[in-house]
Order: sequence, then C-alpha cells, then structure tokens
Amino acid sequence: MSVDQRGAQEPQGPQVGADEWVARQAHRREYLPSWLGRAQRASERIGWWPRLALAGLAGAVLPSFGLGGFQLQVGIDALVIALLAVGLNIVVGWAGLLDLGFIAFFGFGAYGFALLSSAQIGSAGIHLQAWLSIPIVMVGAAILGLGVGLPSRRLIGDYLAIVTLFLGEAFVEFTNNVAPSKLGGPNGITSIDPIRAFGFQLTTNPGYYYLLVIVLVVTMAVLRLLENSRTGRAWRAVREDPLAAAAMTIPVNRVKLSAFACGAMVAALAGTIYAAQQANVFPTDFDTPILILIYAGLVLGGAGSIAGAATGALVVMVIYDGLLRSPAEAGYLFYGLVLLTVLVKLRPWRRLGVVLAATIAFGFAARAIARAASASAVAGGPGSSGWIARAVRDWVIVPANATVAGNFGFVALICLLIALVQVSSRWRTILLPPTLYLASFVWETRLVTEPSVTRQLMIGAILIVMMNARPQGLLGQRRVEVPA
Amino acid sequence: MKGRLVLAAAAVGSLAVAGCASSSSSNGASGSTSSASASSGGGSGKTCTASVGFEGPITGPVAPLGTEQLHFAELAVSMDNAANKTKITLVQGDTQLQPAQATTVTQQFVSNSSIVAVVGPAGSQEVEAVGGPMARAGMAFISGSATAVALTTGKYPTFFRVVSKDSVQGPQDANYIVNTLHPKNLMIVDDQEAYSTGLVSAMVPVFQAAGVKVDHESVSQKVTDFSALVAKVTPATSVVVLPWQVAANAQQFGRDLAQQHKKALIFGTDGLFSPGTFTIAGSYVSSFGPDITAIPTDASIAAAAQSKYGSFGTFGPPVFAATHVIDEAIASVCKAGQTPSRSNVLAAIKQTSESTSILGQPISFDSHGDLTNGKFFLFKISTSGKYQLIPS
Amino acid sequence: MSFFFQELVNGVTTGALYSLVALGFSMVYGVLKLLNFAHGDLYMVGAYIGFFVIQWFGGAAHLTIPVPLLLLIMFVLAAGVVGGLGVAMERFAYRPLRDAPRIAPLITAIGISFFLESAALLLFGAQYRVYNTAEFISLSSGIQIGSVTIDSVQIMVLVLGIALMAGLRLLVNRTKLGKQMRAVAADREAAEMLGINVNFVITVTFFLGSALAGVAGVMGGLLFNQVTSTIGFIAGLKAFTAAVVGGIGSIPGAMLGGLLIGLAESFVTGYISSTYTNLLVFGLLIVVMLVRPSGLLGQAQLQKV
Repeated sequence: MSVDQRGAQEPQGPQVGADEWVARQAHRREYLPSWLGRAQRASERIGWWPRLALAGLAGAVLPSFGLGGFQLQVGIDALVIALLAVGLNIVVGWAGLLDLGFIAFFGFGAYGFALLSSAQIGSAGIHLQAWLSIPIVMVGAAILGLGVGLPSRRLIGDYLAIVTLFLGEAFVEFTNNVAPSKLGGPNGITSIDPIRAFGFQLTTNPGYYYLLVIVLVVTMAVLRLLENSRTGRAWRAVREDPLAAAAMTIPVNRVKLSAFACGAMVAALAGTIYAAQQANVFPTDFDTPILILIYAGLVLGGAGSIAGAATGALVVMVIYDGLLRSPAEAGYLFYGLVLLTVLVKLRPWRRLGVVLAATIAFGFAARAIARAASASAVAGGPGSSGWIARAVRDWVIVPANATVAGNFGFVALICLLIALVQVSSRWRTILLPPTLYLASFVWETRLVTEPSVTRQLMIGAILIVMMNARPQGLLGQRRVEVPA
Repeated sequence: MKGRLVLAAAAVGSLAVAGCASSSSSNGASGSTSSASASSGGGSGKTCTASVGFEGPITGPVAPLGTEQLHFAELAVSMDNAANKTKITLVQGDTQLQPAQATTVTQQFVSNSSIVAVVGPAGSQEVEAVGGPMARAGMAFISGSATAVALTTGKYPTFFRVVSKDSVQGPQDANYIVNTLHPKNLMIVDDQEAYSTGLVSAMVPVFQAAGVKVDHESVSQKVTDFSALVAKVTPATSVVVLPWQVAANAQQFGRDLAQQHKKALIFGTDGLFSPGTFTIAGSYVSSFGPDITAIPTDASIAAAAQSKYGSFGTFGPPVFAATHVIDEAIASVCKAGQTPSRSNVLAAIKQTSESTSILGQPISFDSHGDLTNGKFFLFKISTSGKYQLIPS
Repeated sequence: MSFFFQELVNGVTTGALYSLVALGFSMVYGVLKLLNFAHGDLYMVGAYIGFFVIQWFGGAAHLTIPVPLLLLIMFVLAAGVVGGLGVAMERFAYRPLRDAPRIAPLITAIGISFFLESAALLLFGAQYRVYNTAEFISLSSGIQIGSVTIDSVQIMVLVLGIALMAGLRLLVNRTKLGKQMRAVAADREAAEMLGINVNFVITVTFFLGSALAGVAGVMGGLLFNQVTSTIGFIAGLKAFTAAVVGGIGSIPGAMLGGLLIGLAESFVTGYISSTYTNLLVFGLLIVVMLVRPSGLLGQAQLQKV
C-alpha cells in the first residue's frame, strides 16, 4: 500500500500512520488550498520517481542560467542543509524521535573527513582518498548514532530531546577544548584535501554543486526505497504508537537505533562534502543556530516527507543566506510576501480593493499629519534602496530619529498582528490598513537597515507561523496524535 | 479563483522583473548602493565612485565587537568622502564570526563588481576560510583584528592587517610581566577562541622558562559567572592574565576578585581595552591600538564616535585605520585618472605609506601584508578608572 | 578547607538561581507536557527590564531612590512584565497547539526563543548592558567567615530564592489553586470534566513560571552584571539540565536539580579545571539519565495503553 495516497476523498482502507476517520473528513484538507492543491494532485499523478528526476535535472541545469559565484555558494550551502534535512527527516519525521543534537553527526562527518584527509594527524597526515574516507566516516557516524540512540531506549520523547541537545553542545565543547593539537581547538583544521577519487579531483565550486545535486538525488532515491520497505513501515509504526508496535512484534528499540544510525550516516555524508568544499572546519560551524535552520527547513517543508524536507530546506536557505543578505533584495522579498499574502487571503475582490486603497490613503494621511505635527518626524529617508525606496518615499513616515520610533513600531506591530489573528472578520478588515502601513514603517526604519538581525527574526517567525497555521508543513501529511 | 491566480502571478512576476531589471543594472546584489551610482565612475573631474565591503560579526556571539567595527568603518567612509570628495559606499556583510558564513559573504562581495576592496573579516579562522577566494578574485582585504601568526606566511597574497600578530604581542607582554611584576604564581585564562588560545600558547612558554608556576584555565565567552574560578586564585597568585575579547566579562572577573578579597591583579590584552567597561584599578591592558581619546590628532574622530555611537573599545579604531587605508587608495587611483578596480586598488594599498594614522603610528605594509613596526601600547588603570599609558 | 567552603557558597548561590529558572520550566512542563525552550529568553527579558529600571532612576552611580525600593521595583516589574509575556506566549502560540502532535509546540518554542533573541538584539542593540551592582550595593557589605566571603547580593539571592521556592511549594500543596494545578498536571481531560477551569489554571501556571524566570533574570543581572541578548540561551540550558536531573514536572526536583548543577559546576571548576566544566556537567546529566531516566525525584511515567 503506497503511503502516497492522502485521504481527502476516498482512502483505500486502513493505512499505517493515517487515521481513517480523520482522513475522511472532507474539510480536513490534506492538500494545500485551491489551485495549489490541484497542482499537487496533478503532480502526484506524475509519480514520485519522475518528479525526482525532473527536480534533479532542474537543479543540474540551473547554473547554466548564469549563476554567479555568490549564487553558487548559496546553492551549495542550501544543498548541504537540504541533505541534512532529509537525514533529520528519518529521525524526526519518520521515527518520531526528537533529536536536537543532530548537528553533532554533521560535525562528526566533517571532522572525520578532515582528520583523514589533511595534514592534521601525524607528521605528514593521513591523506586518504575520498572513496575510502567517506565510507569510513559514514560507518563511524552510524556507530556514533547507535551510541547516541542507546539512551533513547529508556527515555521518553522529551527527555530524549534534552539529552540530544546536550550531546550537540558537548560536541562543540569537545572539539573546541579537548586535544587541541589533534583536533585543532578553536583554530580548527585547515587545508583539508578536496574530494579525490581515482584520479578525479573536485576543486571548484561548480564541481561541488553538481556533486551535491547528484548526492542529494541519490540519497532521496535510497530513502524513498527505505520508506516503502519494512524498515520504513516499522519506523512509522513506532512513531505512532510504540506499545502497539511492540505488540505487533516490531523490535522497538532496534528500530529506534536504526533510525538514529541512518540519520547519522546521511548527516556524516553531508559533513564530508561540506568539509571538502570549505577546506576548513571549525567548532563553531556546528553550533545550534545551524540546527535551527535545518529544523526550520524541515518544518516548513513538512516532516515525514522526503520531498518536503528537501524543498523546505532549500527555500529557507535561499531566503536566509541569499536573499536576506542584501537590503535591496530583502525589500522585494518583504513587500512581495506581504502583497502576496494579502492578495491570496482576502476573499472578495471588493474587500481586497478597499483594503489596498485604504492602506495607501492611510499612509498619505498619516504622513501629512506627521509632517504638520513636526518636521523632524518625516525628515529621514527610507532605508531601502532602488525603486522601492523611490516609490515609498512620500508614503512612509521615516522620522529623523528612526531607531527609537522603529523600535516602538516593531513592538506595536507584533501586538497588532496578534490582535489581527484573534478578532472577527469585520474588525480584521478595519485593522488591516494600519497594520500594513505599520509593517512598512517598521521595515523602512529598522528592519532593512539591519539585515543580519532581520533574517534571524524571519527564521523564528517561520517556525512560529508554520506550526500554528499548518503544522504539517507545505508538503507533509497531517497527523493526529492520540494523547497518552 | 482563476482570476486571483492570474493576479497573484502577475504581481509576483512584475516584482521579479522589476527586481531583476534593477539588479542587473546594479550588477547583482549591491546592498546599499543605489543603482544609479554603481556604474563605473571615477576618472578625472567626475566623482570617484566605488564600494567597499565590510565583513564582521555584526550579530552572533561577539556582536558588540562587530557592531563597533561596523560603526567605525562607516565613520571612516563618511569622513573620507568629505575630505577626498569621493563617493564611496560601504556594503556590510554579517559573518557571525563563523568561517562558513564569511565564505558566503565573500562570494557575495566577489560577485559584486562595484566592490573593490574589503575591510575584515574579524577572526583569524575567517581569514583562513576566505583567503583563497579573495586571492582568486584579486581583491584586497584588510583586517583590523585578525592576529594569528599563520596568516601572513605568504599563503594569502591579498591579505593585509593593521594590527601586529600574536607572536609579537604574546612574548612582549609575557616578558613585561616577568620582568616588572615578578609573579611567583600566575593564572592565565583563555576564552576558548582562537585569538585567546593563540596568545596563551605564545605566553605560557615564556612564563615557564622564567620559572613561574602557571595555572592554565579556560572558560567560554558565554560564561558570566566566574566566582568558582576566582575562588581558585590562591593568595600566592599575584597576576591573572586574561587575553579575552569581551571586556564586560573581565570587569565581572575583577569584581569577583574584589568581592572574594583576592589580591591578584589583572593583565589583559586588546579586548579588555574598553575605558567605559573595564575599569578595575591597578590592572594592566596591552593593546594593539592606542587610546585614541588621548591622541590629540584623533580628537575629532573620538568625539564623533562618542556622540554617534557611545562608548567604544579597542576594536573600532583599527577598523577605522583599515577603512581609511582603502579610502585613500581609491582616492589616489582616481587622482591618477583611473577608474577604481580591484587590481589598481590592491596595488595602491601595497604602496600605502601614511606617516600618521588614528593608531598613533605610521602605516605601511611589509611584503606579507603585516603592519611594519606595529607597536603595542601598555596601559595601567589608575584608581579613578583612567587608562594611563606606560611609556615603553 | 576554606577553599571548599568558598566553592560551596558559590555553588549554592548559583544553584539557587538555576533552581528558580528550572522551577518555572518544570511547572510549565507539568501542566502542559511542553518543553518551553523560550524559558531562558524570559530570563533574558527580566534581566533587561532590571537594567532599564536602574537607568530610569538615574543610573547605577547616581540613584535617585533608596536601594531597597529600587530592588523592589525591579523585582515586581520584572515579574509582572515577564509573567505577562509568558501568558501572551501561551495564549497566542501554545494554546492553538494543545492537541497537535508533540513536535508542534516544541518547534514553536524553538521559534519563539530565536525570535525573542533576535528581537532583543534589534530593540536593545548588541552592546553589553552592565548593571554595575557594585556602585549601589557595596562589594564589602556582606559576611566574612574566616576567609570565606559571602556577598550581600549572594545573600539576597539565596534568601529570596528560598522564600520564593517555599512560597511556591505552599501554593502548590496547600491552596485550592495548587490542587487544581496538580490535577491538571495529572490528567488534563479528567480535570476539565471535574469542572476545573483548565485554561485559567494553565494561564496562572505560565504566569507564575515566567514571573519566576523574570525575577531570576534580575538576580542574575545583579550577580553577574552583564546583560546581552544571548544570556538566555545558557540560562535555559542550565535550567533544562537542572529540571531534568531533578525530575521534570516535580517542584522539589527542580530545586534539587538546580542545587546539584550549581554545586557540580563550582566544584569541577575549583578542583579539576574550568576547561572541562561544561563537559563534565553534561556527563553528569547523561549518567543520571541512564541510571534514573525520570530524574532523581521524578516519578516513572506510566505508559497508558
């Protein structure tokens, strides 16, 4: 029985991992709303493997559209995080084990490759070729994953989360402080060999990009096969109800350990390629903020779905690492997102038109009042650049002392947004224009001038909003948990 | 429904087209450069236009240092634009002190053809990570705080720094301690960052060779509670060496020392140089940067920084010096009638020879990019919390 | 020997601080079975509030009101504002997710934590804010027994911490509200069926837990002096350790856990080396987890079929 079938219309009888009654409810939509859902169903008719091939092809062809060095670097980073998200999906999405120390396996893979392929150990160092060192590192990571998974036998979900969180922290501390002569300490390990195998050597960024696309596609294919095998079904059974699974003769402990080991192997693979591409590893590369990025990607895309994990991670990284690094492009993203949300969410055309017109009018009115009140209230210029700045210059209030006003505006915006969610529809229409204007105000005064903080705010907001609005992510499957 | 779909697609499409059109005219991600001025400027009579990149830890674990560096870089750009009648813009990139992010930011700057030189990155590991890409792009980068010895062994031909390296500062400070303070027992605490551990490994051999008993401890920068560590300071320990980056932590350490009635005095390095934050009387601070408030020629800069950004420490002025070197290089290229590009700015930087600078010393670079005759300044904090320069 | 006692004093003081944060964390877990990763950031917000109160009244060196009044205002304001923030978090982020799969509120909590840290960075700036406690509470005030010094700030932290914990125990064990909290923690649905206003109880629990974190934040600021947007992460981590070691969901467990962690840190730093402090404390946690998975004072969780 394929797990691909979602039960919005007619489920084919009982399925492991999907509550039949839930699935039958017509108003519980498993697909994205409206035309997106139609697109999803259409793409499902194509089949999973052709979709994977298409995605891989698209990824491989992308650089020839004139991607520069920066975009390639962002692409490489995004692909590494996508690989990590796919690995994390095994542990969190399929087996239901909340592993907050996943980044340690990534670090293990990177450091393992670094130690085996650089001048770090011994006088001349070990310089194994990649086809040797990568499997060795992956096996080592699997063993480490088994070791980490051992406490999971006796720990229930939340305890496991904390223990793994500490193990993740312990890894950073370990590599930073212990044996600095062997592990490099805070100086890390530098001058790592590139990936070398049978005379081939990858030294350029485009090379690593293609390698990562190939590795990601192959990993996703392997995991797809695993998903539909006995192991995959055992993982899902253990996630839903460990007691029932044990009663059905599934060796629950062994299954959990195998989930950890598989996730660790994928993470280590990502780590080795990362180490080779960066040519350096440092302890701070494997700290908690990276883990949060992986989780954000997994959550956005949908835990439990391979395609979801990869897609979510790619989207998050492209936005975080690529678009939000420069204020100009961040502006397009911000205004584009706001406009898109308003466009899609406001139902009747009239209402949409009224809200947009009211926002523009409100803006001009507010600015006129502010200018009449005091000249310094509109003395500053918008923080954006390019045509957006020219467009909003006469619309948005930007005081001379932008920072303080922007801060208050930020707090007010959060409060307004929370209020918007709570109130009735009529009040929502009334509150929308001031909220939109306030959003633009906060953007121009504070957020766009500090892109580094803004992108972190965005990651936090993604996690919060996604979990509240659509916990199963973009491509995930909705689950109902029976409380214990 | 269908109409909504069409409208949404049209909105996204028009934004994307506008974005692409605007960015292609400004040569890719150009940050805060306005699209008009990003096209080649310079040349005789016309305004001298270029962009300078700034890489620093603006957020992340050492955000206070990074923002201080950013502020001083911005100050240098604005002052030099006024003095040289140039139109240089600063493009900032946040590295969070992580080498992987520094690589991404570097790629971003390399792809941006209007950026002709880079100030930063701040950490030695980051320099290791970005040295290669910078060299391949032929882009000069000047760091105001990367002090590791390995960086100027010729590996990175486009790297410069306006501060001296650990191998100079470490032994110099250690010898001063041994010869002037005569400790029998000494505690040295590193903060688990490369800067700190580099200095410690340069200092400890000097102490041990002089027969001083050394207690080597280590705490993370994130730790704010030092009471347990301070309790370990024995009455025989007369000096505690703190080669730290965060002055506030050292101030807390000093308070704990006083609270537990320990008589040891603190010897700190550059990170502790922060007249507003670290004020433990009797302490010594060795800094690669002078106290610019005490240098008469820097009075205007210090006043401007103070009024705009509040108190500052030791990481800002070297970045000011680095940015100033780049600005002057760009200005000289324009004066020679050329358009600023990476290669001619790099050549101009190599020829830098400033007789005075914000750092109170001449600036020129040796063949490996090190500052020639970098000085270290030793300060002692008086009972009123003032930093007094100890003449060498 | 006096070295031992000095480390003991230090350990007990910081342990009291960790206990306070762990208490709130444990309480919230008890009623909602939710690991609130944003708890540490509430500590950070409390610390910032204390700082701004000091600045409002003239700054550390030139206070315009007497010190006891200042302390009272700091604690009350921090408790109130941070408690309110916690209530808002529960109301708008966690309540809609009450019946969602367990991972959803956990990820939301991570998101809130990240968001709060970034918001603090945006609103308050990156520079360290320093309390300068020594300016208004002199360093020499305090007790000295032999060569062991106990600072008056440390005494205040200890006394206040113990008082708060005792008050909380009283509340939970002797009052009707406490009984309701215990009922909701035991079985939420059954409590609802018995007529207990579950939403109200959960709101009160969140308020109390967050207020405790806020007060702990002010105390941390007074003890350690520096406040920045990242202190919440470390505080939260220590609180998790303490709560888990002591037995999550158990109030005496949180107190015991906090004390143990504080002492462990102190003695490891003092007798072994500060380099390995964090690693060894993590090791202690793993050992406790393996030997007694539900913590030292926690109850073994029954798995219902």
